[in-house]
Amino acid sequence: MNNFFLTKVVIVTLVLTPLFSGCLSEESSDNELVIVTYDVNALSDSMISQFENNTGIEIKMIKVDDAGSILSYLIQNEGTGTIDLAIGLDNTYLPTAIELDLLKEVNVNQTLLSRLNSSKMQPLKPYEGKLATPFDMGYICLNYDSSVVDGLNFTVPTGLWDLTEPEWKGKVAFPSPITSSPGRGFMLATLDYFSWQSNDEDFGNWWTAMKENDVIITSGWSEAYETHYTGGYGEYTEGYIGDAHITVSYCHSPGVESWYNGNWTKSASLDISKTAFFQVEYASAIKGGNSENAEKFIEYLISPNVNSQMPIENLMYSVLEGEDLPEENGYRFHSLIPSDPALISNHDIGRNMELWLEEWNLAMTKSE
Amino acid sequence: MLNCRNLSKKFERSLFDKLSINLEKGEILAITGPSGCGKTTLLRCICGLEKLDSGSIFLNGKEITNSPAEVRNIGLLFQKPVLYPHLSVSGNLSLASRDNHDKALTEVGLSGFGNRDVHTLSGGEGQRVALARALLANPRVLLLDEPFSALDSDLSLKLINDVRALLKSRECPAILVTHNIEEAELFSDRIINLLDSIN
Amino acid sequence: MNSLQKIFGAIAVVLYTIITIAPIVFALDRLILVSGFNPTFWVQSLDKNYVSQGTIGFTFIQSFFSTILTILIGFPIAWVLGRHSWPFKAFLRSILTLPFVIPAIIAAMGVLTITGPYGLDIRTEESTWWWTLILSHAWFNIALIIRFCEPVLSTLNPNLEEQLLLLPNGVTFYSRLKNLWIPVLAPAVAAASCMTFVFSFTSFALVKWITVRDKTLESTMAEVSSSSGIQGYMESSSDIVLGASLIQFLVLLISLWLMSVLQRKRQTKWQQASENLVQNKNTKGWLVLAPAIFFVQLPLLSVILGSLRVRDASADSTSFKWSTAGWSEALQGSYSFPPLSEALFNSMIYSFTTLIIALPLGYALASTIHILEEKNLHLSKILEIYTMLPFALSAAMIGLGVMLGIIKLNPSAAYDFWFLPVLAHVIITVPFVVRIILPALRSLDLNYEENAKVLGMSKLNRFLKIKLPLMKGSILVATVFTLAMSLGEFGASFIVARNSEWTTLPLLIDSLRGKPMKDPLTVPASNAVATVLMIITMILFLVVESFRNQKDRGMF
Repeated sequence: MNNFFLTKVVIVTLVLTPLFSGCLSEESSDNELVIVTYDVNALSDSMISQFENNTGIEIKMIKVDDAGSILSYLIQNEGTGTIDLAIGLDNTYLPTAIELDLLKEVNVNQTLLSRLNSSKMQPLKPYEGKLATPFDMGYICLNYDSSVVDGLNFTVPTGLWDLTEPEWKGKVAFPSPITSSPGRGFMLATLDYFSWQSNDEDFGNWWTAMKENDVIITSGWSEAYETHYTGGYGEYTEGYIGDAHITVSYCHSPGVESWYNGNWTKSASLDISKTAFFQVEYASAIKGGNSENAEKFIEYLISPNVNSQMPIENLMYSVLEGEDLPEENGYRFHSLIPSDPALISNHDIGRNMELWLEEWNLAMTKSE
Repeated sequence: MLNCRNLSKKFERSLFDKLSINLEKGEILAITGPSGCGKTTLLRCICGLEKLDSGSIFLNGKEITNSPAEVRNIGLLFQKPVLYPHLSVSGNLSLASRDNHDKALTEVGLSGFGNRDVHTLSGGEGQRVALARALLANPRVLLLDEPFSALDSDLSLKLINDVRALLKSRECPAILVTHNIEEAELFSDRIINLLDSIN
Repeated sequence: MNSLQKIFGAIAVVLYTIITIAPIVFALDRLILVSGFNPTFWVQSLDKNYVSQGTIGFTFIQSFFSTILTILIGFPIAWVLGRHSWPFKAFLRSILTLPFVIPAIIAAMGVLTITGPYGLDIRTEESTWWWTLILSHAWFNIALIIRFCEPVLSTLNPNLEEQLLLLPNGVTFYSRLKNLWIPVLAPAVAAASCMTFVFSFTSFALVKWITVRDKTLESTMAEVSSSSGIQGYMESSSDIVLGASLIQFLVLLISLWLMSVLQRKRQTKWQQASENLVQNKNTKGWLVLAPAIFFVQLPLLSVILGSLRVRDASADSTSFKWSTAGWSEALQGSYSFPPLSEALFNSMIYSFTTLIIALPLGYALASTIHILEEKNLHLSKILEIYTMLPFALSAAMIGLGVMLGIIKLNPSAAYDFWFLPVLAHVIITVPFVVRIILPALRSLDLNYEENAKVLGMSKLNRFLKIKLPLMKGSILVATVFTLAMSLGEFGASFIVARNSEWTTLPLLIDSLRGKPMKDPLTVPASNAVATVLMIITMILFLVVESFRNQKDRGMF
């Protein structure tokens, strides 16, 4: 440290001050699209740069942890007009966003998505309005390690109560519905499974029983799948523990495993009635934002070229009519379509989500 | 040259009260008194490191009672030499003046010490460097706060003579405070006992 | 205190208040708006919510055992190092205290590599999660024990021990322990333990990655922070954040108070020489030092090796090959994961900007406190505590404060204002700068300043030619500490840096690790980033070590 230190400090400060003010005064321009999203793989480099090149719109991304954080971020920034587009709100969060009036209608041509809307069962229908446009989907359900749960060492469960048996003590890992959207989806499925509409107390009782059976609750999907689950690729990873033979993932996760492993997987999906939740992820323009640019991006996102790549890029189903998972390496073969998924309508989710989460919390904190 | 009129300072008890000192050009004054009687405080007040309760100080007819220490041009030698450890001998001297280091060092009998690290100096050498530095600043008055007391008697005797000679040759007025009468007699032209002046 | 000092001090305090306290007030305001002002309810909510149930107990218990283990491991090292002479002693000490400045996330990566399926393969044991966490905390904090105890041992006047040997009450080892060593060392050990407890208490990255099922208050807060502060939506998150913050605040406040009491005690009591007086050699001491060096370096080595070891992607085989593919992956980057160079650039600019703000601000605050100590002791005490407030806040809380604060002022800044993370880093580092500078200012010999005055030096000259050079060591320590903390900061950046263009090295490590690990390059790439961060931190640390003055016995 010499005598010039102070001088240096002053000079550097002077040099940096304009940078600061420049940053603060910068206004968002028409050629900008601010997207809030979590780390969805749907938005690949090449895809984004292609969009930027085609339209001249510059994309700014705000990354948050998960779908829930997207919603929180939208609420925190409500009315500021700083966000144009949210990508990754799923049907467990979307109804809340709609209830809170955060989203803005866009006119996007949804005719290509007809397969989704042809579903005959109302509770399975994704949101159909103009406030949100689906861009990928998949079923959330129980996955099990078929090399262990083979009928000899472990009986393959046929109902949720089986998991409260002593043989499953500490061997089941679920992501938390408080902090994870697959966790939330699965919790919703269990509501239907225990037919919440008839006001049955089984929902709470089952979760309490699971807690007493040492169920592992993780904050996110990846911790449950990679750290605890023995059936997936987690065993190749360094944090791996491998103490759970059943977890919550997608019904097509075994297909993904197989696709990566060259047509081999020991993971399988459980087809138990009303335990699978149909998850759809949406892109939505945000109130106060630049909806014109948002619209362009949404259209791009569901355009055949981009959306048909979902199974490869994002490991989710494409929402386009006629698209399916690729056959290659058993991707489609190992991906289960649940025969009787849980039926919970968007309307009910929007109205009751908070209440159900409280019930879940109560069941999980009940002292014995 | 230096006129101190009715200087008073209390510090729990009265240290000095209405003390007046008059210092002529080139005169060396010694102020004696036992430890803790306020000698050091008196010097600190004169050079401006501490504030007086009352009284006034004039230097060459100009009042300096409320001037900050750094503009009074009054030098002070501390009891233990204050040498800055991050600087060499020469670096310490340059805090007073950029030039004439060699001459100043020769004057105090330390020629060739310029590049020495201050850690390597003995007590006497350190005090000499401090003196050289104080003189380099060309003080109008030099105050000495028992600078010889920490040295052994042979060394202090030599230093007392050297410093006195140096001050006399420069006609620099000085005030020495000390509890050692013998030292005061050797060094000064005139002696005041602080206790006498209070009573 | 003259008027210039007054203005200068006032500006520093106002600036500090705006940068540091305002965001926290914003955050509290928002959270209390949601939860209501009911501290008992906040704390109770921790046990009522499944997310946070049991975290209070776990946080206290793991901090307690981490502290004990830290002393058990650290003390023998400090003893051996301090009581005997060693070749390259300064270097040995640097190596052994290095972990303290290594970002926690790197240690976490190292521990995972060691205990994981391709290391010792002990992570499947449930007990592993517990003791690896405790051991990691010890790994971090033994530096504190060494730093606090070793100088006491190596500079203690040997006469004290020699005299005791000749007295009836000092003939046995036990009696010397009782009459000399315990009284001499107890304040240092206690102060180091206090700090260890605090650091373990607020541990985040290690808990996030190593521990399974259990969480600390800090990691729970980080988990729910994104949904906190929102009215009518997941309000329990706000209750949890407030409850956890309150407990942390109290614990940290008590620890800080204890620390300051202990520090005063250990400064005054014992006769200490200004230099190393211990001369005797002890070859048996290597039995302690060699394993200690191994223990300290192992996680760091494993991070480096982990960056070069790539899993062979074929089918379900678990073979490995040595390759730089992980490095290429990290250097290349992708849209979601910026290239290493970009994260490095961000980290560098953020840390230098943090330094430019935090160092002068911290210095100005410390200097104001120091000046006030003579004029107005009460005011200086209040200001001193005021500057320590951020210590008592968790990184998560600070991140949240900056986030909510900026949204209130200028919402688009939340993703547009590239320097936003700097704000959080300034809040975190300013108290450290004050803690480092203040003791140095206090220990400056007053005579130096007075002598410069009678030499006729102006204020500016005194500052530039006397004060700054004398403070060189402490300023350098503060500089390096600020840079290292900012470079390794994770908790607050995790919340604040929403824009992927703001990704820093620790965030890149975390997000690379969070990516599906199906890709065999995920782990090597994250280890590669960790290696870069680690090497920068190491260089900074070695720079400060080489400048460290023997007499500097500040907090760090």
